[in-house]
Amino acid sequence: MDLKVSPLTKIISLSGFLALGFLLVILSCALFHNYYPLFDILIFLLAPIPNSLFSKSNLDNADFMSDSPSNAQDFGSFLTGLLATSGIALPVVFYHCQLIGLMSCVMSILGGLIIYSSIVVFSWFFHSSWEHEEDALFG
Amino acid sequence: MDLEQERGIFRFPFKFPTSAGIRRLCVYFSGILYAVGFWLFLDAVIYSKHANASDVHVTFVDWIPFLCSTFGTMIVNSIEKNRLLQGALSSGSGITSLGGDSLDSSVAWQARVVLFFGFALLAGGLSGSIVVLIIKFLVKNYNTYPTVGMGINNVLGNFCIVLSCIVLWIAQNMEDEYSYSLTL
Repeated sequence: MDLKVSPLTKIISLSGFLALGFLLVILSCALFHNYYPLFDILIFLLAPIPNSLFSKSNLDNADFMSDSPSNAQDFGSFLTGLLATSGIALPVVFYHCQLIGLMSCVMSILGGLIIYSSIVVFSWFFHSSWEHEEDALFG
Repeated sequence: MDLEQERGIFRFPFKFPTSAGIRRLCVYFSGILYAVGFWLFLDAVIYSKHANASDVHVTFVDWIPFLCSTFGTMIVNSIEKNRLLQGALSSGSGITSLGGDSLDSSVAWQARVVLFFGFALLAGGLSGSIVVLIIKFLVKNYNTYPTVGMGINNVLGNFCIVLSCIVLWIAQNMEDEYSYSLTL
């Protein structure tokens, strides 16, 4: 599976993907004149932050003899699970409370998932490419 | 490679997940459970505000069990597990050194008391939500579903939060055993 894709193509396609997610969420608000689902974007934008923050800090003080090696990382992954589930649960709860319609609920969940997955895939792609560059640098 | 093959007799076509990986998954799962509990409760609150046809509303009394469970979760999971372990070791071994042992045992006692408070808050949250369900809804004959759903959501939400705390506790203790075997 040695598919060569240039980083520019990755960036362009991912940004298109991200824009599609935003489009879905904003459409789910604007079509029904009901702007509650916009909170979904906020939650899904916040969701990748804890993991990236705490995994970095864990790399810095990776000490063999430290008492609690990855408490911060635990907190980060706890927050990630919490926020990602909140992003899915928020439109469902709004739908159950009759604040938004079914169509709007489905569209905002889909859009939020697309936004979150494109952010995760972005960090994943470019993390690995940075590692490759380091390999090429030192190898 | 030789070390890898010496470790087990059988070969499997897949890798077993490592202890750290399981631990990470457990932490994610506990976060998911906490969010489910939180949103179940928040569902009851928003439902009572916006789509409520009955004359029962969610007031501050319904918030108390949720706050208790959340504080309990925070307290239980912010305790340093090594303190508890240290106390157990020093009280379990017959060797009593001067000074250091009494300090250890007092710290372990404090940790145990705080842990007890945390678990008491968790249990109090769960039972408090059941009490709210019975006294506010069932005793006053609000038995039909959309109304009693607010109380039941409260109970389910608190139950999910307690479950998330238990999963997080198990995950952290699993890690402790792993590092313990590493140090021994």
